[in-house]
This record gives sequence, structure tokens and C-alpha cells, in this order.
Amino acid sequence: MTPTLQITQLCKRFGGIVVADAIDLEIHAGDILGLIGPNGAGKSSLFNLISGVYPSDSGEVSLMGQRLNGQSIASRAQSGISRTWQHMRLFQSLSVLENLVVASRFYEAEGLMTLFFQSAKIKKLQEEKAERALQILQRMELKHLCDWAIGDLTFGQQKLMGLARALMNEGQLLLLDEPMAGVEGQSYDMMKEVVRQEARAGRAICVVEHNISFVKDLCSSAVFMFAGKILERGRVEDLLASKTLEALYFGAQADGVAAVEDSL
Amino acid sequence: MEYVVSVLVLMGIYVMLSSSFNLIIGYGGLISIAHPIFFALGAYTTGVLSVNTSIWPPLAIALGGLVALVFSLMLSLPSLRISGDYLLITSIGFQLGLLEVIKHLGFLGGASGLGNIPNVVEGDARSGVFALISMGMAVLVFLFIRWLIRGPYGLLVSAMRDDELVYTSLGRNAMKVKLVIFAIGSACAGLAGGLYAYYYQYVNPDQFEILQSSMILTMVVVGGMGSQWGPVVGAVLLLFLPQAIGFLNFPPSVMAPLQGLLYSLLVIIFLFVRPQGLVASLERKTAKSTP
Repeated sequence: MTPTLQITQLCKRFGGIVVADAIDLEIHAGDILGLIGPNGAGKSSLFNLISGVYPSDSGEVSLMGQRLNGQSIASRAQSGISRTWQHMRLFQSLSVLENLVVASRFYEAEGLMTLFFQSAKIKKLQEEKAERALQILQRMELKHLCDWAIGDLTFGQQKLMGLARALMNEGQLLLLDEPMAGVEGQSYDMMKEVVRQEARAGRAICVVEHNISFVKDLCSSAVFMFAGKILERGRVEDLLASKTLEALYFGAQADGVAAVEDSL
Repeated sequence: MEYVVSVLVLMGIYVMLSSSFNLIIGYGGLISIAHPIFFALGAYTTGVLSVNTSIWPPLAIALGGLVALVFSLMLSLPSLRISGDYLLITSIGFQLGLLEVIKHLGFLGGASGLGNIPNVVEGDARSGVFALISMGMAVLVFLFIRWLIRGPYGLLVSAMRDDELVYTSLGRNAMKVKLVIFAIGSACAGLAGGLYAYYYQYVNPDQFEILQSSMILTMVVVGGMGSQWGPVVGAVLLLFLPQAIGFLNFPPSVMAPLQGLLYSLLVIIFLFVRPQGLVASLERKTAKSTP
């Protein structure tokens, strides 16, 4: 079966800093892959490379067997890549509902001819988008807040909104950048549940997360990144049991680097 | 009476200018100071056409808008391709440079201006008719911008202004929205210019200097940037204020500096006390967030 996302030998450097060093990665439909590693390991950079924020230096990124190299951020989104951001980055001047409507994969009112001369069609399509947005909000129990301003939501609700906005794309690949950072209680359980449902619905999901129990609960497998490299991949439990990775993760980085270099 | 009516004509023109500038800077978040040059392009296009041909006046005004639109793309296409910040820099050059070119083109009347624009409304009611047309055009521009911003396109504009990177990562085309907003705003300034040319029958480069830009910006800031009624209120207020003190019958040597003083004072006061303008926050409160 063709993997939803296939990355081969992906490289990217900024001057002397290597953020991606010959990365190979596959994510299949229904998988939830955890991306773990210390800060600065290149996890978010990998997301930026996949979603097209940075162009890669070399290597390939394919979605459903289609090569994405050279495609813009927008056209990658239209091919079905959607992502969240560590700091949510919701549209502050739009309401909760509007934040979702504007995030549909296709937005016909962008075309001026359609906007000016086919207002009936636009109206119907906008209503469909709002309908879909309300369904997503309903799932996250945010529907009653649909007219609220973003600034009036709690932190946890804003995190959920980040996920909700990504779901509007209905694409095959979902990239979640620290969905759980700072999230507690009800929102935490909700986030977990929705991510699980999305995987069951056949989406390929990749999660960058420092919350290890979340990764353990949810991810079918994980990769450990350090200094732009994937050092280890496998079941989450096995990765967590590794002494080398633990050393790298929890601060004793100098020792960790030495240990890694020994093992290479 | 004639005097009041002539202020009404000017008011319509400035409502068009401030509303369209607000579309660019307030809604679109695109910082440009070249609005007067698009006003000038409309005025000169209409002026030249009506002097040299027997063109139907509404068509001449429309072509004024069209020429402003085309020139706006010349400015926005190269500068917005890089980033929004470059628009400010290139707009300064565009404003100063193009006006200098106009001053040196013979068929545009050069530095002494373009005169002999035919009078298209004869009779006693001339100013009244122009006031009606001006108000009518201002209402149309206002309604058009309102329709655009309140509709599905408005979501795109706001989202793009809030966060361009996220906007593109959702599959949207940020460049296109910026070009469209800038072009529509500039075209509206061009239309205002066309009307201006017909009303005054004389167009002079000095009327479109960079200082006009600060006047329009003051209207937008005082009224409320990014609100529908803000620029309207700002335009009316700032046009009436000098007229109001005009009745005090100060000698001209006092009047001119007094006006300048009042404008500057208003901007300073507003930036300190109420940077959101007179109208903006009221509109936002009612539109959003009713927990």
C-alpha cells in the first residue's frame, strides 16, 4: 500500500545548522506517529519542510505517491496536508466559526469572477462550509461558542480550535505541533479522543509532543529525533526504555551526544 | 449656501478617498502612502480625456478608476511579491516619482496644471448636482466596500491580515488578496479623482502631494481604522473642522497655520487617547464576542 506520506533522504540546513539530515520517514493511513526529541532536534522544522514553509535542500516528500517538491505551501494544503501550530496562531479578528470557515481546503469566493457573478452559488457553498464547521465544533463541544471572539476562549479551547481548523481541510495528512502543551482536564481528553477518531477515519497523523503519556496513550509508533537526524524508531515503550535517548532527552545532552557518537 | 454645497462635494470625494484607503490600510493591513497618486491618476485621466475628446463623462470617470487600478498593479505586483513591508518603501518612490513625471509631461499641463476641462453641468444648480453625484458615488463606494468586507471575501482579508503564513498554509493565496484589495482601493481613489476633475475643471499636481496622504490617513485614524463608519466620520469631521473655524473670520495669515495645528493636534491626541479611533471599538463590541 502506498504510504500517505513518504519522505526520502530529506535534507535542510540553515548556514551551519542542520535541521534535517537525510531523513527517511513513512506514515500510513490510520497511523499516529509520535515525533519526539529534545528542543532544537528539528521536529517543528520537519513539519515546516513537509508543509512547504521552507523549501528542502534535497530529498523528496510525497503525499499519496505524488511528489510535492517545489509546490507552494498553499498548493500542498490543497493536496491534503493540514497542520496545527505550537502557538495556535488563530485569526484573532475572526469569530470561532469564521476561523474554521476560512480554513476549508477550497474557498471559491477567492475567485473574483465567481464572487461577483455567482453570488447564489457562493452563498450555498459558504453555508455548506459553515455547516461542516459547526459539525466539527459540535464534536469538540465548542458549538455554543461559535460566535465568540478567539480571545475570549480558554487556552485549552484555543488549542482545540487549532485542531478544529486543521480538520476543515479534510486532507489525508494531519501534522499536530505540540497539541497538548499547556492543555489540561476536559480539553485534554477531548483532544485525545478527536485525534483517535481521525486516525480511525483513515487519516495519517504525525504528532510532535513532549507530553510522554499522551504519546504513549495514542501513538502506534514513534521516532526519536536529535540534531536533525532520526536516531531511533519503533514502539513508544521501546524508545522510552532506551538509556541513550533518555540521556539525550532529559538535559544531559553532552553525555548523550558522546553516547550517540560512541554507538555510531 | 454655495459654499456649503461645495463642501458637500468635497466631502463625498474625501469619503471615497478615506473609505478606500481604509480598505487598504485598515482591513488589508497594507501600509502605503501612495493614495494621492491614484487620486491624481484618476483626475488626470478624466481631465485629459474630456479636454481632448467628447467622451461621455461617466465613462471618463470610470476610465480614471481603471487607469488608477492598472497603475496600482504596477506598484503592488513587484513589491507585494516580496513582503508587505516593501510596499511602504516603494509607495513613497511611486508617489514622489510619478508626480514628478506628471509635472514634466506637456500634454498633462506640466507644473502649471491641466485646465480647460469642459463644464458638464450647466446652470445655477451646478454645485447642487455635483454634490448629489459626489454623495451618490461616496455611498456606492461605501456600500461596495461594506459588501466586500462583510461577505465571504471579508473573511479572507481579515485572516490574511492577521497571519499571512497560517493563511497560506490553509491553501489560500495571500498575494492575490493583497493585490485585489490594493487594486480596488486604488480604483476607488481614481473614481474620486475623475469627479474632482469635472467639478473643479482644473487639475494641478500640487493638489496631490504627499501631504494629501497624511490628510487621508488622519481621517482614517481619527474615525477608526478597520471600521466601516470610521473613515466616513473622520472625513466629515476633518473637512468641517476648518470650515467651522472659517466662520470665526480670522485673517488668512492666522487661518492656514491654525488648520495645520488642529490637524496635527488631532492626530497626536487620538494616537495617545484613542488609537482605535472614534468608531472602531464600538463596532467591534457589537459585532463579536457576546458571552
